[in-house]
Amino acid sequence: MNGWLAVLAYVIFPGGLFLVVGSLAYEYVDRKLVARFQNRVGPRWFQPLADFVKLLVKEEIVPEGVSPALFIWLPAVALGAALTAGLYVPLAGLAPTWSFRGDLVATVYLLMMMTLCIGLAGANTTDRFSIIGAVRALTQLFSYEAPFLLALLGPAVAAGTWRIADVNTYAQGHLWMIVSQPLGFVVALIGLMGKLELPPFDAPEAETEIVSGALTEYSGRGLAFFRLGRDIELFIGLTLISAFYLGGLANPLQFLVKTLALLVVTAGLQSLFARLRIDQTVGLWWRLGALAALVQLLVLIVLKSVGVHV
Amino acid sequence: MSTAMSLETVTGLVKPWAVSTAASGPERIDVEVRAEDIIPAVTAITRARWGYLSAITGLDYTAPAAAPAEGAAPTEGAVTQAAASQPLGLLYHFCRDASVLTLRVKLPRENPVIASVSPVLPSAILQEREVAEIFGIQVTGITKDRLLLSDDWPEGLYPLRKDYTPDMVQKIRESTPPPSGAPEAHEKAGTFVVPIGPQHPALKEPAHFDLTVDGEIVTGVTVRLGYVHRGIEKAAENRSWIQNLYLVERICGICSHIHATAYALGVEKLAGIAAPPRAEAIRVLFAEMERIHSHLLWLGVAAHEAGFDTLFMFSWRDRETIMNLLDEVSGNRVNYSVNLLGGVKFDVDGPRRDAILKGMDFLEGRIQHYLEVVTRDESFLRRTRAVGTFPTETADLLGVVGPTARASGVRRDLRVDAPYSAYHQFPVTPVVDDGCDLAARFVVRTKELSESCRLVRAILDALPPGDLSVPIPRRIPEGEAISRVEAPRGELFYYLRSGGGAKPERVKVRTPSLANWAYVLSVAAGHRLADIPMIVVGIDPCFSCNDRAVEVRRLPTGGAPGQEGSSERMSWEELVRYGIRFYGETEL
Repeated sequence: MNGWLAVLAYVIFPGGLFLVVGSLAYEYVDRKLVARFQNRVGPRWFQPLADFVKLLVKEEIVPEGVSPALFIWLPAVALGAALTAGLYVPLAGLAPTWSFRGDLVATVYLLMMMTLCIGLAGANTTDRFSIIGAVRALTQLFSYEAPFLLALLGPAVAAGTWRIADVNTYAQGHLWMIVSQPLGFVVALIGLMGKLELPPFDAPEAETEIVSGALTEYSGRGLAFFRLGRDIELFIGLTLISAFYLGGLANPLQFLVKTLALLVVTAGLQSLFARLRIDQTVGLWWRLGALAALVQLLVLIVLKSVGVHV
Repeated sequence: MSTAMSLETVTGLVKPWAVSTAASGPERIDVEVRAEDIIPAVTAITRARWGYLSAITGLDYTAPAAAPAEGAAPTEGAVTQAAASQPLGLLYHFCRDASVLTLRVKLPRENPVIASVSPVLPSAILQEREVAEIFGIQVTGITKDRLLLSDDWPEGLYPLRKDYTPDMVQKIRESTPPPSGAPEAHEKAGTFVVPIGPQHPALKEPAHFDLTVDGEIVTGVTVRLGYVHRGIEKAAENRSWIQNLYLVERICGICSHIHATAYALGVEKLAGIAAPPRAEAIRVLFAEMERIHSHLLWLGVAAHEAGFDTLFMFSWRDRETIMNLLDEVSGNRVNYSVNLLGGVKFDVDGPRRDAILKGMDFLEGRIQHYLEVVTRDESFLRRTRAVGTFPTETADLLGVVGPTARASGVRRDLRVDAPYSAYHQFPVTPVVDDGCDLAARFVVRTKELSESCRLVRAILDALPPGDLSVPIPRRIPEGEAISRVEAPRGELFYYLRSGGGAKPERVKVRTPSLANWAYVLSVAAGHRLADIPMIVVGIDPCFSCNDRAVEVRRLPTGGAPGQEGSSERMSWEELVRYGIRFYGETEL
């Protein structure tokens, strides 16, 4: 793909604009579902967009004692990384815009940038709540990241390729990997919730303890970018997991059905539990998450080495 | 042990230091001790494990200048002159079941010094700081940091002394330059302090906590209260006995009724009259309905602090049932204004009675569900089990009250220990749990919801016939009375003193939250930061909640200018209907 077509793919569809609009739509669905589960009315359909525009218009206050360059650029880097990650995944059930061998690893790293940026942003300010939030965000990163990566490696190992597009194709022709690798699926889905700091993994931004965590000092554009970045990660994360575990994404309809089904599950999980303390989160991931992902991967490798293909 | 025997025991205990002893009521004994003897006397009571320190009342014995004629303000000079000779008083009220021991200390006005009893009873410290600030009694051995009065309140001005007048503040402020705005150095080197409040999402009402943390572990806590100190005790001295009924009802935005009840019972005791049985039953009926609304509110807030918003939303949705019932019966959602001095204002019968019973049917089902959630939900129990553990022994000693005490295995419930109003007729089974942790507090409050529902039914089934009120004199005979009632959060203590006039000489209110702070301050250290909001909310600190405004300013409709800004009153039902219509018409 080259020339103006490539630019179109990056900026309008399926990257760029489509990614942004899709993410905001998914944020709406998520918020609406959680609200309905909690017997609330929930937001109107354009609320996420309205929030985003409102934040863009608002004044961005740069507090005293921070490095202004870091303060302003971190949200942009986080958003940029999330948008870039969108190029490697089969958005809307179409072939990824860009693809190379090992792009799975690159995508996982790009998705991690968000949490790193949030951690840095929190540590950059002198605010007590931000610092504690940053520490918690990074602690959480170290707990879910390894199991999450292992859980995404499972399907890749089964398909024998580290190229997302190829895993997607492989998944379409085989038994759904949610059936053959159930442990991996659970770890990946819950890992995504941990990554996005969704309840019950919202200790890094627990409002009743540390106000808004690492983002307490953010207002205006920076906050809008971080929030949008997180929405995009949700969108990409759901795409990745459905491509890998739910029999691949062959067309837009499959994409819609499968990702929305996953979203219903995560929304349900969000409203079912009380928040975990950060020590409980870490304990849960290392005691259960990492173990489950490792067991899954070991079983897979052993089966593969004796010639059984799943 | 009967009340008489109990009082006899304690009289014996403090006999060595007693200057004089007087029985000031069937359940009270009043022992005067010298200031230097207060520590040994309190130690003796504490050693013998006789009751708990319920309240410390400051008192100015100065009579309001020669009972001025109605409407005429006392001249400043007269008060100052009369005040010169009169001592200040400090009353330590110890309670055990129904019996109350008052240790009375008189202190010279010029140099009121007394030792702090906090080495013996750590829970006394907040109350001592309160009397030190508002009465200028120098309690040695406690911090001089402000607890209640605002930071810019002038030094040496004590608002609850009788010779204080509001214009004194203005005079002092005009004559002294404002303090330079140097920020306070909160942090010592090497410590990391997390400030919680006065404005913080975890707090529904302003308070300030400085949490010293080491990583996630809290190593120390200090508290600053008084951000909504409204001077109600002082205001009460300038209002008539009847006006005060409406003033005290506004002390709390949640347990408004119980304040008015405590006050009304106290005044009736002073006046030597009793409200008719039907009135007492209606008072108790409302008290229990208020308990239901308060505990459901707490359940939601506590769940929110634990990050369990689904439970928060559900419990508050169900709370609307009881709020609507209260509104239907009384006309108000929060300040029901049920009480009169000498009775109640309205009856509960016919359709109102049926509505309440129907509401109870619904609530009882929901309460069973919540009980299952707080005892079975594993993710929730991980946040509550073995958190904020407060042993029975300590809870008993520190004088913790209400559900906080009962969840620590202390059987302390005034509805049972000292039945007031109609609780003789409608006995309560106290809910006690030996868990001592946060989970136990959830269990106790949820079970109390069931118990309150049962009581509401029992009262409606056997509402005594008769009048709703009896007349009460405008001037209340000289004397003092202590009125203790069980508010949703625990023992509410009122001390009333009358000089025989149309206005009280002193109204002292000790709310349950003040008695329970001792628990927060003693258990917080060593917990994780994430547990602190839960521990604070574990005592259900009294958060004001706003009543809803029902005045709707209608915007001019497009095209026709119409009457701009014409306002329209809506009843509660209309407002509910309006809300449903609004959301129905708006595309969601």
